[in-house]
Amino acid sequence: MPDAVAAARPRRWEGLDRAAPIWVLAAAALALLILLPLGWLAYMSVRSDTGVTLAHYARVLGDPPLQKALWNTLVLALWSGLVALAIGAPMAWLTARTDLPGRRAIQHLVMASFVTPPFLGAFAWVMLAGPNAGHLNRLYRELTGAVDPLVNIFSMPGLIFVVAIYTFPYVYIMIANTLGLIASDLEDAASILGAGRFQVARTITLPMVLPAILSGFILAVLQALALFGSPAILALPAGFHTVTTQLWAFFQYPPRVELAAAFSIPLLLATALLLLVQKRLLGRRGYAAVGGKGAQRRAIRLGRWRYPALAACLLVLAAAVFLPYGILLKAAFSRAWAQPLTAENFTLENWSFTFLYSTTQSAIVNTIELGVLTACVGAALATLLAYVTNRRLIVGHQVLAFLVVAPVVIPGVVLAVALFVAYTRPPFLLYGTLWILFLAYLTKELPVGYSQSDATLRGIHPELEEAGRILGAGRFRVLRQITAPLARSGIIATWCFVFIGVIRELSASIILFTPNTKVMSVVIFDLKEEGQFGAIAVLGIFMLVMTFVTVVVMQGLLGRDVMGGRQAGGAG
Amino acid sequence: MPHRPRSISALLTVLALCLAVSAIEARAQDPRLEAARKEGKVVWYTSLALTSSEKVAKLFETAYPGVKVEVHRTGSQRILQRMMQELQAGIKNVDVVHTSDAGHYVLLKEKKLLMRYTPAGVDAFGAGFKDKDGYHYGLRATVNVIAYNTKAISPAEAPRTWKDLLDPKWRGRLVTAHPGYSGVIATHVLALVHLHGWDYFKALAQNKPMLVQSAVDPSGVVASGERPVAVDGGDYTFYQVKKKGNPVEIVYPKEGVPLVVSPSAITSFAPHPNAARLFTDFVFSHEIQQVLADTEGLYSGNPQVTYPSDKPRLSDLKVLAVDAEELEKRNEEIKTRFVEFFGA
Amino acid sequence: MPGITITGLTKRFGPVGAVMGLDLTVRPGELVALLGPSGCGKTTTLRLVAGFLAPEAGEIRVGERVLSSPAVVIPPERRRMAMIFQSYALWPHMTVAHNVAYGLRFAGVGRADRDRRVDEMLRAVQLGGYGARYPGELSGGQQQRVAVARALVVEPEILLLDEPLSNLDASLREEMRFEIRRLHERFAITTLYVTHDQAEAMVISDRVAVLRDGRVAQVGTPEELFERPRSRFVAEFVGKTNLVDAVADGAGAVTRGDLHLRVAADGTAPRTPPGSPVVVSIRPHRIALGAPAAPGADVTVLAGTVVRASYLGDAVDYQVTIDGSDVVLRVSGSAPARSRPGDRVVLTVPAAACVLLPAADAPAG
Repeated sequence: MPDAVAAARPRRWEGLDRAAPIWVLAAAALALLILLPLGWLAYMSVRSDTGVTLAHYARVLGDPPLQKALWNTLVLALWSGLVALAIGAPMAWLTARTDLPGRRAIQHLVMASFVTPPFLGAFAWVMLAGPNAGHLNRLYRELTGAVDPLVNIFSMPGLIFVVAIYTFPYVYIMIANTLGLIASDLEDAASILGAGRFQVARTITLPMVLPAILSGFILAVLQALALFGSPAILALPAGFHTVTTQLWAFFQYPPRVELAAAFSIPLLLATALLLLVQKRLLGRRGYAAVGGKGAQRRAIRLGRWRYPALAACLLVLAAAVFLPYGILLKAAFSRAWAQPLTAENFTLENWSFTFLYSTTQSAIVNTIELGVLTACVGAALATLLAYVTNRRLIVGHQVLAFLVVAPVVIPGVVLAVALFVAYTRPPFLLYGTLWILFLAYLTKELPVGYSQSDATLRGIHPELEEAGRILGAGRFRVLRQITAPLARSGIIATWCFVFIGVIRELSASIILFTPNTKVMSVVIFDLKEEGQFGAIAVLGIFMLVMTFVTVVVMQGLLGRDVMGGRQAGGAG
Repeated sequence: MPHRPRSISALLTVLALCLAVSAIEARAQDPRLEAARKEGKVVWYTSLALTSSEKVAKLFETAYPGVKVEVHRTGSQRILQRMMQELQAGIKNVDVVHTSDAGHYVLLKEKKLLMRYTPAGVDAFGAGFKDKDGYHYGLRATVNVIAYNTKAISPAEAPRTWKDLLDPKWRGRLVTAHPGYSGVIATHVLALVHLHGWDYFKALAQNKPMLVQSAVDPSGVVASGERPVAVDGGDYTFYQVKKKGNPVEIVYPKEGVPLVVSPSAITSFAPHPNAARLFTDFVFSHEIQQVLADTEGLYSGNPQVTYPSDKPRLSDLKVLAVDAEELEKRNEEIKTRFVEFFGA
Repeated sequence: MPGITITGLTKRFGPVGAVMGLDLTVRPGELVALLGPSGCGKTTTLRLVAGFLAPEAGEIRVGERVLSSPAVVIPPERRRMAMIFQSYALWPHMTVAHNVAYGLRFAGVGRADRDRRVDEMLRAVQLGGYGARYPGELSGGQQQRVAVARALVVEPEILLLDEPLSNLDASLREEMRFEIRRLHERFAITTLYVTHDQAEAMVISDRVAVLRDGRVAQVGTPEELFERPRSRFVAEFVGKTNLVDAVADGAGAVTRGDLHLRVAADGTAPRTPPGSPVVVSIRPHRIALGAPAAPGADVTVLAGTVVRASYLGDAVDYQVTIDGSDVVLRVSGSAPARSRPGDRVVLTVPAAACVLLPAADAPAG
């Protein structure tokens, strides 16, 4: 029979996934977003009127002040990474594994440090530790009668300190999450054999978390490399540059774009290398796999070390959160920030001035517009891309996964230079509009959005979608009716992450803005250049309030702590 | 007779009121106002201190309801940078450009980026405030001075001359603004290079002054006591800060104070030309120039403007003038060498 | 009701070959189990049939339609199949009724009709009245039945099951085996059932295909596989057995050293020339403890010593060393134990219980 009746063969088009164009489009959008500016950057770095040249590289790498800037950046990055590690690792261990009092509160405060824009922190520390007028120094002088200050924040150590207290949360998150995966019994086995608490920590826990530690260190270094605001606030007054501030200086008139491009490349290569090392350390999954279901965890008893440990944690948080926020509040309500907050020094003028200042108003509007737009597009794109890579929908999805997180490698200033080069000429003349800022933010925040979406989608069993498909629903319908509702809170978390990232972004904005397209961070920076401390404090507080409201919404939706604490549900 | 003085004063009052009303009416009936209202706003890139700029803008908006002033305040060097970047990208945004670097206007005029416009009432202005071709006029003037915090330093210890600042005892106690940001400072640097040569700045750098950007910033630094001595900065900013009750005192060095005349001009491509002209007339008017002198501590090109009694007249000071052409030509040099000596 | 024809199916994952030239035919209305150890390719085969994977070579036909080939793969939503997953894959954000009704939406079934069919099906799986509940509120067994209802309500041409019972506890598993069999007999849908549990496969299926290394080692009814395995692998995998490596003597017996065993003479045993190596499979429960009941029967009588006797409640598992040989035989006897370790026993091994298998393990049966 089968021979007599010809088997019904399907046509080629019947086998096509009807939703394919969407995935391909998303992938193409991503490629364009990232490769176009980078391509231009590479091109500009070797371009000259006479053809391809290495003269720009020779110039930037051979110029002593520029070499100094490179060296400063290296010193800053490595040292702040080490200090961040020295702060973050013990704190993570203390909150994740011991019976430290106030663990939950400390976790929340670390989150506060995490979302505080480093440039705002730097600015607050100027008021705290400026060698003469800084409050801490004045207090010290009053108490001890010394002439010299206790600390001078306008120095490399000062810069390292400020950078470290705002990058240690990266280390903290990485290690806390990993510690959450280690089952207690691995440590109990050691305890039974006679090892004391700290011996256990040193000989058992430490080696298991080592990949996470190194990875956290690398993350902190990467952040430090890319910072612009803190060096601009603390290094420039002390008379030294970092690569980021130098790149910004290249954009004074006349802009030396070719030099900026050539100078960007070393930074790009350094970050790429670091990221590669980090990936190797953690393996394919991108987090330290230590095995164990992490279900059973007994807290290690600290005994008489409880309160000293708590004091140490509070000291760190004082530096990162209490003192800076306090001084910002004070400056926001003072006529003269350096004077004590007496009745006659108290004023609400800073608030009226700041919010009535037309530039502030348009900047706030711009920031919110850009924040919402970037968050919406970013969340959609990140989710779509995470879907494509998780379900392996197109050929070359591994390349896609790599491309999505590639922007992590690009420091904000470098990205801005690249975008400037790419979009200040036809056919895409975006300079001077909010669109160029939108592109910068989207590119920059996509990695963070993607990793959140990726984690969300991993939590959705593919069988849930396959069940829909076998019953007759096409891929896109399944995405809409099954995946999206289940991923909803994760998608909203992605939205919030992107939003927060956008409103505090400075390093790219400072290069790409024009007077009509200022955002809040740029206005703060401008005001700093004028020494308008009161207005800066007001805007800074406003920015922090916006951020915290978003964080609260996000944590409420996710029903768990983003910082590595395990409540209901698993780790992200 | 008791009635006569009263009726005279009454008459005078009525007369004054009529004048005032007619002045306002005259303003309100200004035929360009209609055209300006249609344009809706004037975009002003200004390097005048933020509070002063905002004040001027608000006064204009009150006098001419319906026309908004978009204030974009940043340092002179940045203003030029922004303008040129925007033009390169084909963006025509700015109507009125006002910086403190006279050299900029040489450049802008050369590039045919300025509109020829003479505001009413500038004929009487001093020669240093007028462009011979009528493209730009000096909106305000200030001089670079030394300032110190009176709580930290007694008048006897205070530096009196530019050279005094080179004394090693001032190491770590100085603050300077930056010619890479501020036109006031760029002018100052050139003037002092003429006076004492580049070696002056080389030596000054040995005292490791704190580097800030805007010429407005040193006043805040000194007032807070962060650094007790400012080695440059527009005197008007110190004056304002002193008037607010801060412990700041100004020193006008006998060697001479670099004079900075800050020009204002309308751009040739202004998107709101009528509003721009209206605005320019406004800021150059006697009333506004008087406001700038009274409350902002600035000098005006208008010889009829009166100054507060605690401010020295320009004629009483040894003023160091700087040639605009030279400022333009040596702009790169000024910025590069400053960075070379001071590090950033 | 169409059948499934799989020819030469091949699928590799990188260098690893998951399915290597698999051939199988499922007759219309038949329930065939894909049985094998992990890594044998059974789940991959199932997913290839479902259309989630594309084959590199070979063909999958349902009835006369070619659904999968290297050139074209019809997407899962157009294959008219239904699948029950190991994790049940119930959508937590939809009620039970919505879950079950989902597939009907694409079949152009009207609202009223849908509701009716959903109700009927829920009652058929004994979940009548549970329509408004959410999957999270149900027990494992109930969730499983919702998954079954969801698959059956769309009246698919083919039903695929991927180890649906492995998440249930032992007693529930047993109950559900019979339940699935009952449903199959009622609806008679052509079914492919993947499992690693040999007992389950025996209970549920019409035929069992034992898979190994991506190929079918042997396919047949449970009885055929159990009584007449055709390879060492199948003999070991399906049920417990004794395997004795020996040499054929060409006269209905095999020799291992001093041990002689009479073997089954039926036609399915491979013809083996004398002297060639063979393997003999003897099921433990076919070996009797004690002397033969009927004299003259075709049996081998052996003497040995009990090494171990494990009490299993309903049976006793003996290990007996055979005199004059290195062979140790497992024997299944009834409880209570009649011999203890160290006791001397006599074993009767019927020739019919000794199945001859090729010594070299040929991959395909």
